[in-house]
Amino acid sequence: MPGIQEEEAIGKAYDARLMRRLLRYAAPYRKHLVVCVILLFVITLTDLAQPYLTKIAIDDHINALGAPMLAFSPGQEPVPGVAIRGMVFVREKWLPKSFPRHDGEGDPTSGCPARIEFADGRYFLVMGDPSSESEAATRDELTPEEVRAFKARDAAGVLKLALALLGAMILGFVLNYAQVYILQYTGQKIIFNMRVEIFRHLQELSLSFFDKNPVGRLVTRVTNDTEALNEMYTSVLVNLFKDLFLLVGIIVVMLRMNLELALVSLSTVPIIIGVTVLFRAKAREAYRLVRTRLARINATLAENISGMRIIQIFGRERKKYEEFDSINRDYLAANMRELQVYAIFRPAMDLVSSLALALLVWYGGGRVLAGRLEFGVLYAFINYVQQFFRPIEDLTDKYNIMQSAMAASERIFMLLDTDAREPDPAKPASLGRPRGSIEFQNVWFAYNGEDWVLKDVSFKVEPGETCAFVGATGAGKTSIISLIGRMYEISRGRILIDGVDIRDIPRRELRRYIGVVQQDVFLFTGDIESNIRLNNTEISESDVQEAARHVNADAFIRRLPGGYRAEVKERGVTLSAGQRQLLAFARALAFDPAILVLDEATANIDTETEALIQDALARLVRGRTTLVVAHRLSTIQNADKIVVIHKGRVREIGTHQELLAKRGIYYQLYLLQYKEELSRAAAVGIGGRQQGDS
Amino acid sequence: MDRRPPHLRIARGPEGVFSHQRASSAALRLEPVRRRFGLLKDFFVRYKSRYTLGVLFLVAVDALQLVVPRILGRVTDEVRAGKLDASGLARYVGLIVGIAVLVGVGRYFWRMYIMGTARLIDYTLRNKFFGHLETLSASFFNNHKTGDLMAHATNDIHAVRHALAQGVVMSVDAAFLTIATVAILVRTIDLRLVALGLAPLPFVALVVTHFSRVIHLRFLTVQKTFADLTDRTQENLSGIRVVKAFVQEESEVRKFTEVAQRVVDANMHLVRIWGLFWPLVQFIAGLGFVVVLGYGGRLVISGDISLGDFVAFGGYLGMATWPMMAIGWVVNTLQRGMASMDRLNVIFSTRPEVEDSTDLAPVSRLEGEIEFRGLLFAYPGQDRPALRNIDLRIPAGRTLGILGRTGSGKTTLVSLLLRLYNPGPGQLLIDGVDINKIPLAVLRRDIGYVPQDNFLFSSSVRENIGFASDDFSPEEIEKAAEIAGVADDVRGFPEGFGTIVGERGVTLSGGQKQRIAIARAIVKNPRILILDDCFSAVDTETEERILKSLRGIMRQRTTILISHRISTLKEADEIIVLDDGEIVERGDHESLVAAGGIYADIYERQLLEEELTSTEET
Repeated sequence: MPGIQEEEAIGKAYDARLMRRLLRYAAPYRKHLVVCVILLFVITLTDLAQPYLTKIAIDDHINALGAPMLAFSPGQEPVPGVAIRGMVFVREKWLPKSFPRHDGEGDPTSGCPARIEFADGRYFLVMGDPSSESEAATRDELTPEEVRAFKARDAAGVLKLALALLGAMILGFVLNYAQVYILQYTGQKIIFNMRVEIFRHLQELSLSFFDKNPVGRLVTRVTNDTEALNEMYTSVLVNLFKDLFLLVGIIVVMLRMNLELALVSLSTVPIIIGVTVLFRAKAREAYRLVRTRLARINATLAENISGMRIIQIFGRERKKYEEFDSINRDYLAANMRELQVYAIFRPAMDLVSSLALALLVWYGGGRVLAGRLEFGVLYAFINYVQQFFRPIEDLTDKYNIMQSAMAASERIFMLLDTDAREPDPAKPASLGRPRGSIEFQNVWFAYNGEDWVLKDVSFKVEPGETCAFVGATGAGKTSIISLIGRMYEISRGRILIDGVDIRDIPRRELRRYIGVVQQDVFLFTGDIESNIRLNNTEISESDVQEAARHVNADAFIRRLPGGYRAEVKERGVTLSAGQRQLLAFARALAFDPAILVLDEATANIDTETEALIQDALARLVRGRTTLVVAHRLSTIQNADKIVVIHKGRVREIGTHQELLAKRGIYYQLYLLQYKEELSRAAAVGIGGRQQGDS
Repeated sequence: MDRRPPHLRIARGPEGVFSHQRASSAALRLEPVRRRFGLLKDFFVRYKSRYTLGVLFLVAVDALQLVVPRILGRVTDEVRAGKLDASGLARYVGLIVGIAVLVGVGRYFWRMYIMGTARLIDYTLRNKFFGHLETLSASFFNNHKTGDLMAHATNDIHAVRHALAQGVVMSVDAAFLTIATVAILVRTIDLRLVALGLAPLPFVALVVTHFSRVIHLRFLTVQKTFADLTDRTQENLSGIRVVKAFVQEESEVRKFTEVAQRVVDANMHLVRIWGLFWPLVQFIAGLGFVVVLGYGGRLVISGDISLGDFVAFGGYLGMATWPMMAIGWVVNTLQRGMASMDRLNVIFSTRPEVEDSTDLAPVSRLEGEIEFRGLLFAYPGQDRPALRNIDLRIPAGRTLGILGRTGSGKTTLVSLLLRLYNPGPGQLLIDGVDINKIPLAVLRRDIGYVPQDNFLFSSSVRENIGFASDDFSPEEIEKAAEIAGVADDVRGFPEGFGTIVGERGVTLSGGQKQRIAIARAIVKNPRILILDDCFSAVDTETEERILKSLRGIMRQRTTILISHRISTLKEADEIIVLDDGEIVERGDHESLVAAGGIYADIYERQLLEEELTSTEET
C-alpha cells in the first residue's frame, strides 16, 4: 500500500485524465452550470452595452445635427420627423434600411436632400443636393425655435438611451449576482459531496492503513486539497466562458462596427499575448521561488522555536540568528524578484493598452477628420479596447489555480483509489447474538511482512469465561485482542467465535457484539452522555445513566458541572485517568456486548477510583466472555484462565494457582509486576500467598 | 558583561506593555501610530528617502494619468471643429504615447520603492522577531505554543507589511486622485454635470467600507467552520479504533456531513454579501455614466458643453472609481495592520526572565563544584514547589546519580543548573559563587547537557554534533561520536557525517538521536556533564558500552546522571532518590540497596526483569 505523498511539487496545469474525473463530480450540477453559462452570456451583452449605447447616442443624437436629412411634404414622410417650414424633415438614419435611397429624382416620395450647417454661431438649413449640378442648393438661416425643435428630438433620444443603459446595468447587476450565487452554490455542493466521499472512504479503510499514514496528511486531503478544487470549479471552469464571451463579443461588435478599425485595434493583440506569455513564465518561476523559500523560512522558524532551549543552553543564539537572517534574506530576494516581475508586467500591460489607445486616436482620428468614420464609433472602440485587456490578464491567474487544482486532485484521487478497505465475506454467515466461545487456532500475525507479533497462537475460551493475558511489554497481548474484532487480518490460522470463522461474519455484526475498552480511552468532543452512547440513538438517556450507575461512574459524573451534559474538552484532559476508564466501561456496557475485550489501564489511578474500577469490572464481566490484558493482580486472580504470552508465543495456560505451581514465566512475571501489589493486598488481608524473595 | 549580539539589544520593544485591544477608528490617530511603529523607527529613518521617492513617483503617475482624458477631449473638439490636421493629430498621439511611457516608468519605480520598502520592513520585522525570541526564557516558551508564535511571524507580519505597502498606496491614491479629479472637473466642466455625475461615487466608498467589514467578519466565520471541519476529521481519524470497534462509521459520516454542511452554509452566507460586492460597486460606478450619457449628452446637444468635455468627463469618471474604493479599503487595511502591530508589540515588550545580572562575579571558567543550599523552587506562576529542601554538594570531578519517578523533579534540578529558570539567591552555587552571578555565557559554555527529548536540528550530523561551536575539527567531532557509540552508525549513512538529519535526510532512530546528543555535549569538553535520562532508547548492552567509554571522560569532570535504570547509576559517587521534589534517599549503591527503600525495591525488580527478558524462546 503506497503512503499518500505530500509532495508540494507544482506540475501541469491540465491533465485530461484528472480533468475527466473532476468533471464527473460536476455532472450532477450540469443544469446549474449551464444556467451560469447562459447568464454569463447575457451579462457579457450588458457589459458590452455601455460603449455601444454611447456610440449610438453620439452618432445619432449628440453629434447628429449636421447629419444628412430628407425633406418630405407633410403626409409623405415614411417615419415621424421634425416639421418646420411646411416640410417634414427626416434624418436618413431614422429611415429603415429598405427605404430606397434617393435615386428617383424629384420623386416626392423619396424626399429632398437637406442638412443643417453651423457657422459663426448660426444654424443654416441647406436644401437640395450640394453635389448635384442640376439643382441649386438653397441656404437659409434657422430660427432658434426651429433649431430647438431638432435638438428636443435628439435630447429625447439621448434620454431614452440613458434609460436603456440604466436598464442594461440593472439587468447586469441582477444577473451577475444570480450567477455568482448559483456558481458558488454549485462549487460548494461539489466540494461538499467530494468531502463526504473522501471521509466515507476513509471510514472504510483498515487500521493498517492508518498505522502507515499520518493523520495530518489525511486531514489535509479532506479539507485543504478539496478547497483548492473549489477554486477551480468556481473561478476557472465557468469563468473561462465569461472571458471567452467577452473577447469574442468585443471582436464581433468591433468587426461589425468597422472592419478596418477593428483590424487596427486587434493588431496589438499579439503584443498582449506575447507580453502575457513571457510574464507567465517569469511569474511562475518567481512565485515558485517565493513559495519554496517561504516554506523554508517557516520550517526553520518552527524548528528553532521548538529547539530554542537547546540553542540557549548551547549559547548559539548568534549563530542561529545569522542562519535565520540568511534564510530571511533569501526570502526577501525572492520577494523582490517577484515584485520586480510584477512591477514590469503590470505597467507593461498598461503601456500596451495606452499604445492601442494612441493607435486608435491616430488612425481613427484621421478617418474622422476625413469624414470617413463617425466619431461615436471611435469612442466605442477606445472603450472596447480597454475592456479587451482584462480577460487576457485574468487568464494568468487561472493558470495558477489550475496548477494547484491538478496537484490537489491527483493527491485526492490517489487516496480514493487506495483499496485498503476492510473486506467483508462473500457468503456471510449470520451470527446473531453469540454465546461467546472464542478460539484461536494456530494464529500467526504481523503488522508488517514477516515481523511476527504472534506466532502460532492457540487457545480456547468458553462462553462466560474470563481469560486474562499476561506477559511483558511488547509480548503481543494487545494484538490478540485487536484481532478478535478483526481490526487486522491474520496471516495464518483461524479465529472462531461460536465455532464460526470470523472472516465469514459481516464485520458490523461481529463488532456489534464485542465491547472494547482500550487502555488509552479515547474521548470525543461533546458531552459525557454522547461519549457513552456515541451516536447510537437506540441507547436512551436512561440507558446511559443506568450503564454509568452500574460501573460506578454515575457519582463522579453528577459532580461535574452539568452532569451528563458536562462538556468534554480536548479529548478529556480535565478528567482523571480513572474517570476516563470508568467512562469507557460505561460506554462498553451501554452497548451490551456479548464479548468484552479490555486492555486495563496502566496509568496511576488513585486508590479510591481504583476500588471503584475493580468493583465495576467485576459487574461488567458477569455473564460475558471477557478477554483482558491484565495489569491488576485482582483481575488475574479472578480470571478463569490465564494465558501467558512471551515473545509472541503462548507459553503457559492455566489458573493462577496452577501457573504459580509451575514456577515458569508466569511465576517470574508475577514476582516482578505484582509483588508490590501483593504485599499491599496481604496487608489488608485479601489473600494470595506471600511468595519468597527471589 | 552583555554577551548578547548587538542586534538583539536593539530588538527590545518600546517601554511599557501594550494592551491587547482591538483596533478602533481611534487607532488611526497619529500619536499611537508613532508609538506602535516606534519599533521600526530606525528603519523608517533609514529608508525615509525610498518611501518619499515612492510616494513622489506615485503622485507623478497619478497626475500624468489625469492628463489623458483631457487630451482625448481636446482631440475630440478639434477633430469635430475640423481644426486639426494630420500633424496636429500626430502631436496629440505623440503626447499620449509619451505620457504612457512616463507612467509606465513611474509605476515601476513606485512599486519598487513603496512595495519594495515594505518588503524590507517585512524582512527586518521577521529578523527582529526571531532575535527577540532568542532572548526569551524557557517559561515564555512553555506558555506560548509554537503554532501561535508562528502565526505571529506569518499573519501579523504580513498584515503590517500590507498596511505599509497597499495601505500607503491606497491612502495616497485616495487623497490625491479624489482631490485632483474633483478640482480639475470643477474648473473645466459644467458644474451641474460634475455634481450629478460624481454624486454616486461616495456611495462606492460607503459600500466598500461597509461590505469589506462585513465580508471580513463572515470570512472569519467561514474560517471557523473550516477549522471545525479540520478538527472533526482529525478527531475521527485519531479515534478511528473506537469508531470501528463500536461500528460508528455511519454515524460518524453523518456527523461529518453536518459539519461539512455548516461549511457550505457559512460560505453561502459569505457569498450572499461577497457576491453582491463587485456587481454593486460596478453598478454604482456605472450610474455616473448614465448621468454622463443622459444629462451630459443633453448638455452637448444644447451646446452648454462641448463633445470633448463629454468625452473627457467619461474618462475622469472611469478614473474616479478606484480612489473611492481605496478610501473604503484603506481604513480596514490600516486597522488590521495596527492590530497586528499591537500583537507583535506584546511579544516585543516581553522581557527575558533570565538575563545576566548587573553585578556579575568575575568568573571566566567553571571548576565544577556544585552546591544546593536549602533550595526551594516553584515554576513561575505555580504555587506548589517543584523542588524542596534540596541540600546537596557535589565536589568537582565527582558523579551524582539521580533516580526518581516522572514528575519527581529530576529535570527541574538540572534546568536550574543550566539557569533556564532563576533559583533563589544563595540557593545554588557553583564553585562557591551564586549561579545568578555567573555570566550565562560562561555557565552554559562549561556545562555539557544531554536533554531527555534529544532534539536535533535538520542539518548534517557533523553540524549537530559540533553545534556548540564552529571551531571543532572533524577529528574532534568523530572522536566524540566514537565515545558516544554512534560513529559506526553515522559512517553507515549515505553521506557519513555530512548526512542531513530528519525529514530531508536520514530518519534516525531514538537511540541514534540520543547518542548524537551525547556526542554533542561531550565534544564541548565541558567541566560539568549532565546526562538527563539519555539512554532510554538504547538497549542495556549499548548503554553499558557507552557508559564504559564515557567513564574516562567522567572521571575528570563533574557528572550528573539521571536514569530510571539502576545499572546506569550504580557506580556514581553519590546517588539521590527524588520523590515529589524532595530527596528521600541518598548514599552510594551498596548503602542504598542495604537500606531496603525505594532504590532497593527498584533494583530488585530490574534484576528480575533482566532475568525474564533473557528467557529464551523455545
